[in-house]
Amino acid sequence: MASSVVEWKGERDIRLMSGKGCYIDDVELPNMVYCLLLGSTHAHARIKNIDVDKALRVPGVIMILTGKDLVNVMDPLPANADYRSFGWHWRIPKVYPLATDKVRFMGEPVAAVIAEDPYKASDALGLIEVEYEPLPVVIDAVKGMEANSPLLYDEWGDNIQAHVTFNFGDIDATFSEADRIIKVSWRERRVSGFPIEPRGCVAWYDGSTDTLNVWSSTQTPLLAQQFIARALRISINKVRVVAPDVGGAFGNKLNWWKDVIVCAASIITGRPIKWFENRRENFATGPHQRDVIWHGEVAVKDDGRILGVKAKFIVDVGVEGTNRGAGAPSIVPASCSVPNAYKIKALHVDAYAIVTNKSFYCAYRGYGKDKGIKFMERIVDIVGRELNVPPEEVRFRNFIQPNEFPYKQISGYVYDSGDYPHVLKKALEMIDINTWRDKRGLRGRSKYLGIGMAFTVEPGGGAISHSIFNAITLARIKITPDGTVEAYTDQTEIGQGSKVVTAQVVSDILGVKITDVVVHPTSSDITGAGPWSSRGAVYSLSAAAKAAKKLRERVFKAGSKVLNEDIENIEIKDSTVYSTKDPSKRMSMKDLALYIYFFPGPRGLQKELQLEHETLLDVSETWFSPNTAQNPTSTYTTYCSSADIAVVEVDVGTGDVEILRYVHVHDAGKIINREVVEGQIHGGVVQGIGEALSEDLTYDESGRLLAASYMDYVMPTALDAPNIEVGHVETLSPFTELGTKGMGEAPAIGSKVVIINAIEDALSPFNIVITDAPATKEKIWRWVFQSMKGHSR
Amino acid sequence: MKTTGYVNVSLNVNGRSYEVEAEPRTLLIDLLRNTLKIKSVRRGCEEGECGACTVLLNGKPIYSCLTLAVQVDGAEILTVEGLIKDEKMHSLMQAFIENYAVQCGYCTPGMILAAYYLLNTVENPTEEDIRRSVSGNLCRCTGYVNIIKAIKDTVRRKKRENQIKVTKGDAPYKV
Repeated sequence: MASSVVEWKGERDIRLMSGKGCYIDDVELPNMVYCLLLGSTHAHARIKNIDVDKALRVPGVIMILTGKDLVNVMDPLPANADYRSFGWHWRIPKVYPLATDKVRFMGEPVAAVIAEDPYKASDALGLIEVEYEPLPVVIDAVKGMEANSPLLYDEWGDNIQAHVTFNFGDIDATFSEADRIIKVSWRERRVSGFPIEPRGCVAWYDGSTDTLNVWSSTQTPLLAQQFIARALRISINKVRVVAPDVGGAFGNKLNWWKDVIVCAASIITGRPIKWFENRRENFATGPHQRDVIWHGEVAVKDDGRILGVKAKFIVDVGVEGTNRGAGAPSIVPASCSVPNAYKIKALHVDAYAIVTNKSFYCAYRGYGKDKGIKFMERIVDIVGRELNVPPEEVRFRNFIQPNEFPYKQISGYVYDSGDYPHVLKKALEMIDINTWRDKRGLRGRSKYLGIGMAFTVEPGGGAISHSIFNAITLARIKITPDGTVEAYTDQTEIGQGSKVVTAQVVSDILGVKITDVVVHPTSSDITGAGPWSSRGAVYSLSAAAKAAKKLRERVFKAGSKVLNEDIENIEIKDSTVYSTKDPSKRMSMKDLALYIYFFPGPRGLQKELQLEHETLLDVSETWFSPNTAQNPTSTYTTYCSSADIAVVEVDVGTGDVEILRYVHVHDAGKIINREVVEGQIHGGVVQGIGEALSEDLTYDESGRLLAASYMDYVMPTALDAPNIEVGHVETLSPFTELGTKGMGEAPAIGSKVVIINAIEDALSPFNIVITDAPATKEKIWRWVFQSMKGHSR
Repeated sequence: MKTTGYVNVSLNVNGRSYEVEAEPRTLLIDLLRNTLKIKSVRRGCEEGECGACTVLLNGKPIYSCLTLAVQVDGAEILTVEGLIKDEKMHSLMQAFIENYAVQCGYCTPGMILAAYYLLNTVENPTEEDIRRSVSGNLCRCTGYVNIIKAIKDTVRRKKRENQIKVTKGDAPYKV
């Protein structure tokens, strides 16, 4: 990468490293006070009484809010997605951010203490007395579906928040063509992103302007603004939300229900209030993901062709997945992503979202798409083993071919471009598959070597109808009077590198030095749904590129006029406008801008240069992609592809898994910044490895979260993470301005299932089919032990 | 004058001496962040698991969220702010930038201090040493790949610098 790009990026890095960054915990306002939340000690209980008298007497305590107070100042939390109009079974619960009548998960906030400092707030928290009447708990989603199960929401009559059946192709005809039907079951346990910076916000209601100012550690200030205003029944134009530096997000910062409490408290007290959750609160009340069970049947031909898939799919969405967050809609991409990279003829998915007494369901890297893809990548491996065909061969036989793009997948997605066989071949070459194949099996006394592979087609860039994730995106680029450039997009910098990539694109197109470009932090002042579903390289970057191109035309016109040169001879490079014909005709961008803004000024001259150049992409009308907004399943614009191959050694005596080699080859279209792309791959791969081996948000039968800290929820450390070898392929997308594709989620998807596939391969002498991730040491040991005892699992 | 219920704590942070009052229960991280406004010390878990609040106490890495302010009376503390001298950053920080080892940046100060301790205490660290040195610091963005690369890079550079020094002193190239 050019040194000027590293220098540009380094300015942010040095600021963040040296304590000059401004994360949410660094935001300080005069007169600021602190909010701490009291969590429920029961997973399911009626609240009989809350006594705050003793707590209120603690010096420094300003106010204590309970659910009873909140109902006076707000509506129930608004729904983030509402598919009832499709005729689907879809329920919107009536819930408040502080429990009103009953609590439905352990840790659910029941009271908010506002105090002069966090220590005093903590003192008061311990003095609040809550009287509960415990209710029976629902912890197992499958049991929660039974007719006699206790209910979370009495008014529903059951625990089914959503039930949708998808039918693509003729499933019965397809299954009748099959040589054989193979059964596949697959379960992923509950996990989440847990960025090192938890959630937090500072809210300040400014009475003098009747404006609610909010700084929130969020991915998307615009959506935060809309959510907070709707919840608090105030007009959206009275709320302004700014995202400061964000210490990681991964989908976990797309929820603002707790911010609403802080905002309400600030409106009542008139004081700026900070809430910054601690890690246990983050685990117990944060957004959770996965927790899915698939039971499927696969119709196959003896030559390895996969004809169709029939599946029942159950998601445990915890307390709910529509209002605190927006996880329930992920059953749609989960179902529609099952075909993955393959030409199958029919798909039937019966999808259920079941409520249980666990924390709420929202987004985490993959958002449902991952679930369908991982299920299919398990299917492919199991089919290969059943038919005695190598796993890569099953994939090659079923791949969509490079000449078939744009490819209309049976589930409604329109794949933009790709060369799947090339990506997988490259990965096989990089790892040198045959050498490793020869080494499979027992090594030493108790270690078995195995090879796994996985292929991922990631739907990227989302525009989801009937939800707040409508995905309109705007970029604004402006040349200032000193010739420097200001860029605004909806891409909050959450560590994914969106700022540097935006600066590179703007600098390249405009011909200005990258050091002359500033990319501003995001706020609700800019229209745009922000970074999620790998939208940056799909929409935001396209909008920025289009705006920069428009502005470039204006600069050319102005330059032509001021330098008195034909427009076709004008060029801009390194922030200088010059004539390619007459080298004496040249002017710095600074001089040109000064000339046009002030001296002599705009009268009669090219005042267009002063306009801010905005490009709005209404991607809900599906920009560029031949999808339609009316089809709820076709919500994505680009489809990057990637192949993961891992070689592992499993110690059957201890259950230890060592990753000997890891290769990831990807095709995300045009690459703007290789290091940024590789950073996404490294991080995603290691998150997936954590999910495959150790991460598990286990609840006990009483509804207590057993993994409520980094000590119990085991994320990979530097000692666990492998060296990751990355290969690049670039098949440009015809649907984006620069040919780029979203790619932030694929690495976290393939990496999980590739490790499972590799472990299963290593354990093949024991005839073990893995149906449950993570494959923890204990589970591996148990599987092997039971297999040796001759039991079937 | 001493406020009732408060304890005097004198400490040296990044070469500067401070005399402060703290409640006996005040955590070192709160003293550093809230009282002294040293903000590179990051709050990640408050229970000694993530390492984002790592500081060097008398040269050794500790979690400032598990340390009481009153425990550090008379001690020397180093944070990343102290690694910038005359506006020049430490070579580790430069290596983190060049190797794209900073993504969200939240874990970075703790990582740098853990690695700084390694560089100061182990002559020729192996990859295993390097990985172990930051294994008490969690990162969710980078998969550690570029962090390890950056530390290795610094080790290499340091070795080269040392070799140059030796070369000059021993003058082996006599004509």
